[in-house]
Amino acid sequence: MADFEETLYDAVAQKFRIDKLYFENKTDHQHLMIFHNAALGRVMTLDGIVQTTEADEFVYHEMMAHVPLVAHGAPQHVLIIGGGDGGMLREVAKHAVESITQVEIDAAVVEMAKTYLPNHSAGAYDDPRLQLVIDDGFAFVRDDTRHYDVIIVDSTDPIGPGEVLFSEDFYAHAKTRLAPGGVVVTQNGVPFFQPDEVTTTHRRLARHFADATFYCAPVPTYYGGFMTFGWATDATELRGLAPAIIRDRVERAELNTRYYNADMHGAAFALPQYVRAAMQGE
Amino acid sequence: MTQRHVTIGAPAETAAHYEDLVNRHGSPLLVYDPAVVRQRYAELQRALPGVSLYYAVKALPSAHVIRTIDALGGGFDIASGGETELLLREDVFGRRTIHTHPIKKDAEIRSALRYGATTFVVDNDYELTKFVPYRSRVGILLRVSFRASGAAVDLSRKFGCAFDELPGLLDRAAALGIHVKGLSFHVGSQCADAAKHVEAIEQCAALMQARAETDPTPMSVLDIGGGFPAAYHRTGLDLEAWCAPVRAALGRVPDDWQCIAEPGRVLVAPAVTCVTTVVGTSRRDGVRWYYLDDGVYGSFSGQLFDHAVYPLQVLREGPVEPSILAGPTCDSIDIVAEQIALPELEPGDLVIGHEMGAYTAATRTRFNLLPDAQFISLEPA
Repeated sequence: MADFEETLYDAVAQKFRIDKLYFENKTDHQHLMIFHNAALGRVMTLDGIVQTTEADEFVYHEMMAHVPLVAHGAPQHVLIIGGGDGGMLREVAKHAVESITQVEIDAAVVEMAKTYLPNHSAGAYDDPRLQLVIDDGFAFVRDDTRHYDVIIVDSTDPIGPGEVLFSEDFYAHAKTRLAPGGVVVTQNGVPFFQPDEVTTTHRRLARHFADATFYCAPVPTYYGGFMTFGWATDATELRGLAPAIIRDRVERAELNTRYYNADMHGAAFALPQYVRAAMQGE
Repeated sequence: MTQRHVTIGAPAETAAHYEDLVNRHGSPLLVYDPAVVRQRYAELQRALPGVSLYYAVKALPSAHVIRTIDALGGGFDIASGGETELLLREDVFGRRTIHTHPIKKDAEIRSALRYGATTFVVDNDYELTKFVPYRSRVGILLRVSFRASGAAVDLSRKFGCAFDELPGLLDRAAALGIHVKGLSFHVGSQCADAAKHVEAIEQCAALMQARAETDPTPMSVLDIGGGFPAAYHRTGLDLEAWCAPVRAALGRVPDDWQCIAEPGRVLVAPAVTCVTTVVGTSRRDGVRWYYLDDGVYGSFSGQLFDHAVYPLQVLREGPVEPSILAGPTCDSIDIVAEQIALPELEPGDLVIGHEMGAYTAATRTRFNLLPDAQFISLEPA
């Protein structure tokens, strides 16, 4: 069988053996594949870039969902932008929230993920608290009138269909959708290879939020070390919660996680010098 | 003007082959023989060992040809979004492509990156700045101008920086944080000999080696472009002899460099034969006119755009007289061949165009809304 060789960078690339191709779609100028790899389980790629694998998706989804939800303390309404594979929904649904709104641009992605990546959503699409909206995420945050305690932007790469979800206008609209004390988190790439993304996102977020920073987690198949998540809120106290408070909340939430815990929550906000430098545009 | 090679008559077997194709598929036809591409590819590989071949898709952007090259393990030289779409449809991974158009819109860069091409060609400062947002992802080849006086098509007038501009562009790229991984040149198309290639290789290699002494990220890719000829004169093509000086020059560059070439014409020109039919005839001012169902707005467009003079063949034999072969459109420029000596043809007779794979169907127009010649392959897809 053929190999999948990632096309993210010219000088280096990771290569996965395709043990079985489950699904391939080449419409709308994009190329989506779901295949099996012996080491990683099912792997989804879009336009030559690894999106998610069964083996390590827990790192990404747990860290992107639980960090803001636990930091918020009492989230009632959660908005997920993107995340069509259902992994984010699965993690958010572990919390005792009132409503979960997920905005996915393409209904076919949800159906395809239910069929070929069933372990990602693990039945979460049947959660009665979920309102699934098929719409452009940018248009949704611009036109919606409700407010959310946590907004999770589970987007694709900035070069591609997720491009607008990295724009300053999107962040500005997202802010208007936040309830007081709310927080926005975003997918922000691997800073070792993409420091420019940290620079750009930080500049854009800092114009709209009192606290704009990043937190980190290593997702092994996002080649290049740890990835960054954008963190944006006017509730500056959310980032510096006492470890005891976080531990207490995590214990009570009974999240049943494989990566996330109270210690990782606090540690994730520690940023190495090169990321700090990138935030300052150096 | 280059003399056109005309063949009068054909062995019965050959004539029957063309007549059979037209009976089955209609006329006009472009008949593709993948075996010819495979043979040329192998010849070129033998003549230039160690050189990675990237088929110049622009020469004949056909799914059939893509599949042939793909099966040979070749790479692809692309220059537009349309070409990337074609490769995507044919399941060619982006990593096997290089994007070689020196001038690109931002949207073109983004769509090429999404497809998976990460090698791009640049020849000026403004174009370099377009890659700043993508600098973490791309590897750039700087294109240098070397003009071959013997080339049928000069590709170093419109594109390519002057050699003495290179140091400035390299410094500029370094300042912008953009990685230049090598140099490329395109001395021209249909080159009579490889003298200019050799000169270009030697100058580029010297500069690359000199810069490697001081630059923190040495260049290691040398793209020698195309320019390999097709045998429009039917004299046979000794690719081995043509390439010998190139091979010798490349033998003097460091072993750890990646040398690449972008053959187009040399691979596909001989692999496609055009079959047209005489649909009308007249005698004007004492000269025989034959009107064909394909012409310079169609498959013979390369006679205008590519300065090619395709070898022609008629199947009938007999006493010859000065004749004109005209294309099917209303325009008087639509003349395939003037003043060639042909036997008397009849409506329904076939006229065959040889060496018609490169820059033929690729550049045809929509004029008169005449249907395109049907492209058929001699092997099942």
